[in-house]
Amino acid sequence: MKNQMNQIFVHSVFIVLAALCLFPFLLLFMSSVTEEASIISNGYSIWPSVFSLEAYSYLWNQKSAMFNAYGITIVVTVVGTFVGLVISALLAYPLSRNDLPMRRSLSFLVFFTLLFNGGLVPTYLIYTEVFEMKNTLMSLVVPGLLTNGFFILLIRTFFANSIPVQIIESAYIDGASEFKIFYRMVLPLSLPILATIGLMLTINYWNDWFNGLIYVTEPSLFSIQNLLNRMLVNIQFLQQNNLGGQNVTASMPMNSVRMAMAVIGILPLLLIYPFFQKYFVKGLTIGAVK
Amino acid sequence: MPRKSKVSILLLSVVLIMSLVLSACGNSNNSSQSSSPAASGSTATSEGTASGPNNEKELELKLAFIGLGNMKDVNLVQDEISKITKAKINATVKLMPIDIGAWVQQVNLMLAGNEPLDLLLTSSFFNFSSQVAKGQLLPIDELVAKYGPTIKDTMEPNIFNATKVGGKSYGVPSVRDTAADHGFAARKDLMDKYSLTFDNVKTYADLDPILKTIKDNEPGIYPIVQRSQANTIASEIVRGYIDAMGDTPGVIMVNNQDLKVVNLYEQPMYKDALQLARRWYQAGYIMPDAATSQESNNSLMNAGKAFSYFANMKPGFEAQETIVNGHEIVAVRFVAPISTSDSSTGFMMSIPKNTQDADRAAQLLNLLYTDKDIANLIANGIEGKHYVSAGDNLIKAPEGSSNYIFNQWEVGNNALTKVWEGTAPDIWEQTKAFNAASTFSKALGFSFDATPVKTEVAAVANVNNQYKAGLESGTIDPAKLDEFLSKLRSAGLDKIIAEKQKQLDAWAKENNIQ
Amino acid sequence: MAKTGWVQTLKKIKRYRALFLMMVPGIVYLIINNYMPMFGVIIAFKDINYAQGILGSDWIGFKNFEYLFKTDDAFTITRNTILYNGSFIILNTVMAIGVAIMLNEVRSKFAARFYQSVILLPFLISMVVVGYLVLSMLSSENGYLNMNILPMFGMEPISWYFEPKYWPYILTIVQLWKATGYLCVIFLASIIGIDNEYYEAATIDGASKWHQIRSITVPLIMPTITIMTLLAIGRIFYSDFGLFYQVPLNSGPLQPVTDVIDTYVYRGLMTLGDIGMSSAAGLYQSMVGFILVLLSNYIVSKRNKENALF
Repeated sequence: MKNQMNQIFVHSVFIVLAALCLFPFLLLFMSSVTEEASIISNGYSIWPSVFSLEAYSYLWNQKSAMFNAYGITIVVTVVGTFVGLVISALLAYPLSRNDLPMRRSLSFLVFFTLLFNGGLVPTYLIYTEVFEMKNTLMSLVVPGLLTNGFFILLIRTFFANSIPVQIIESAYIDGASEFKIFYRMVLPLSLPILATIGLMLTINYWNDWFNGLIYVTEPSLFSIQNLLNRMLVNIQFLQQNNLGGQNVTASMPMNSVRMAMAVIGILPLLLIYPFFQKYFVKGLTIGAVK
Repeated sequence: MPRKSKVSILLLSVVLIMSLVLSACGNSNNSSQSSSPAASGSTATSEGTASGPNNEKELELKLAFIGLGNMKDVNLVQDEISKITKAKINATVKLMPIDIGAWVQQVNLMLAGNEPLDLLLTSSFFNFSSQVAKGQLLPIDELVAKYGPTIKDTMEPNIFNATKVGGKSYGVPSVRDTAADHGFAARKDLMDKYSLTFDNVKTYADLDPILKTIKDNEPGIYPIVQRSQANTIASEIVRGYIDAMGDTPGVIMVNNQDLKVVNLYEQPMYKDALQLARRWYQAGYIMPDAATSQESNNSLMNAGKAFSYFANMKPGFEAQETIVNGHEIVAVRFVAPISTSDSSTGFMMSIPKNTQDADRAAQLLNLLYTDKDIANLIANGIEGKHYVSAGDNLIKAPEGSSNYIFNQWEVGNNALTKVWEGTAPDIWEQTKAFNAASTFSKALGFSFDATPVKTEVAAVANVNNQYKAGLESGTIDPAKLDEFLSKLRSAGLDKIIAEKQKQLDAWAKENNIQ
Repeated sequence: MAKTGWVQTLKKIKRYRALFLMMVPGIVYLIINNYMPMFGVIIAFKDINYAQGILGSDWIGFKNFEYLFKTDDAFTITRNTILYNGSFIILNTVMAIGVAIMLNEVRSKFAARFYQSVILLPFLISMVVVGYLVLSMLSSENGYLNMNILPMFGMEPISWYFEPKYWPYILTIVQLWKATGYLCVIFLASIIGIDNEYYEAATIDGASKWHQIRSITVPLIMPTITIMTLLAIGRIFYSDFGLFYQVPLNSGPLQPVTDVIDTYVYRGLMTLGDIGMSSAAGLYQSMVGFILVLLSNYIVSKRNKENALF
């Protein structure tokens, strides 16, 4: 009885939260299918007075650029997520081991990167001059791999708290190598955190426009988010700088196009999201321990 | 604990030493590379006169400019241009349009390193003088004299000569409508509907009855809109009378024909403009959220929500605006054309220190101003694909519409380009005459270097943002002007103006301008 | 003595060589991506002239830092930055933990997945788009609030973008809306990792839900909470630029309550493009964050050494 009450309470809270989160998206989607003139004269609305797919057909007209951008986004996201996850887990596991020599110093080495950075210009120079990555796919993947060590600390904490030291020790005594322990025992026990970090990395890569803005000037390497961001930032720039009154605003894309770009930027992420969620299923860890 | 921190210090210092070594290597590269173009430039100028340009090695010259509009087929255009340049100067061309929103950052980054970049669009709106001060651009007088002796004939001499800093020239202005007159543009259909004319409209303040008629009879249409948040009502009104000399505070009044730097915000003209904007705002002629609106005048006009706007103009203005606004436009001019220092330094082509070969870059620069085919390719795209001939040197869009739109005023010699159908065929002659007949600002040719007062400039920019858009659109009561002024002063406005005056005086003395 | 010390260390390294090997790719990466560029902090103290190169440029001491402290606005932007980010840290953490715990309580697997997806949605869109969404709600002319909501309560339309007093709340709400989902997923991963036995034992002892949360869930996810909070403290002087710049549309009258260090620096440098000054701002922000983190980490490690970061 009490349990049921609990469930009702929890569900009603989430229904309210879900509505709050969904409403703006409904608005976003609806604006993307509203006629341009209607947005300007009647404002954004949940039920547009004049429907129009003009924005999407405008984007469809540029389909080669759009599909190319999707391709870039997908390649970068898949490669980046995979490599990032592998490097992070490999680095986090030893740091989670209490018996590792110099553990604190090494942790500090990782942690320090979260607080200090050399700034944009030196980083840019290292990547473009030393590694010659300007205008390459690498430049979209590499700078985001460890996201400044942030995820390493999360994985380390999970390893330290959720992997019983006894099973590692007993495996070691049984003669298993460290790599084997890591691969056969630690990783399977850590699916929840790996899925979480994998999801975070995916989101980061999918939504990244900054590296594209900095390291890429070649339009064939623009990702979806990079295209969207450039469009929006250009509009803002033109609005707020008068350039001696030069006429440049005529080339700004329409409201509905901006919204349609945002919609097609999010959609695929929504589609792969359930795939990650599979791993959040409760009991996965515990089942394995028992 | 102490032992551990020792280890981490050790690690850190190893890393730091590594990075020192690496960046030292990078740096030695730096200096050798950055000195080479200058060196080759000087050898070329001494030997070259005898032996002619040495173009033995094939190069890919990179040309960076602000990418506005839709340049989807930029690669095709670039290939066509390369065919011409390959034959003429043994170099191919790489066009690099960079988004305006990313421009400042991207250019800064490219010039911080040694990335090859041979020609670069520069502008007084985008730190031209600080680029010169920081050694990012090469002086080009000798190179232009050697490889592009006819460039100077393509434009007004005062415009051509106005890109000098410290006696050396650092850029070639684009050939465009460098002068501008200022006035009011409105929808013809509504003007006709209410039998409105510009007969008795001599100044901005005379517009009241027209705006009132629209307000009273056309609900849902704003009588007047701004072109953007920054092109405010008041700023458009005063723009025709001042030379702003870049976008730091401190202007000179063009009509005074003197070299006294004044604070624009204290001028009676500015105060009057604020009062007018406020009156119109309160009368409901200006849209309530003008100061934060994300809509341009063009989209508001197209949506049928706007009747008129202020603008700077040129020959052919009405025809151009009719196309972008979707309504026929009529205009009235209140201020005769002027050429200010931004007319010259607003958009230039410069040779950055990163160039692979300064001589070859200068030859390409020459082609941009003298080769008709290249000018057309850049501005209009490829014939048959992006435009078709409409006879008589006129062009029109091919079946379906053109997907190569380039903003013409930015790069090279636009007077060489073919003219779109609907525009007067002699538009470039008109423009030339228009430019020549304008009142030239006495400060034309002066570039302000903001570096000595950069602390103040940063602070003033923030104060500006807080008040300017609101005051000038009429959204904020002009009574707040005093507050604005006192905040500007405490941010260091007077220091900037004094520095500007100092540099202007020094410049005038150097150039014998009274 | 010293010799046996060496031998021992070598032995240890041999014993753990596999673990060290695992760390190599990550450490190398951090050195390239993070430590090598740190050399660049010298830019903050230089008057950069490219003709002389970065190393050859003149030292100018703290001149590049001046604009951060010199003006009347220095106090405002610092205050805003700390107050906003401080309250975001507290509110985000409380909200995200609350939602994560509740999400863990949802029985229906399908519903749990659905809710989780939905609350993560806001995180997926960029702040610029959020700015447009907020505009569609608040626009004085045709925004949703002025058109539909306020009239329901018989209220007059409000010029939102000119009224500073509402913005501390608006920004906080937008921020919570956008960030909760992300944090919540991280906390949820920790909660899922908690052994069910603890709860079973507690239920047998007759502990209430509230009691279980307080004495099992929260203490067990404390390490994660600590990490997240310390990280947030380390970045307390950095702000989400999009939130403070794009969402208020950079509106002037709002500036006293929406201006933070990042927006101030951005505006100032738009016209200057001076990398010395931007490096100075970055260094200042890092330094303050660094000191604050060292302090809080010290306090944390006093109370519970295990939870400390290093």
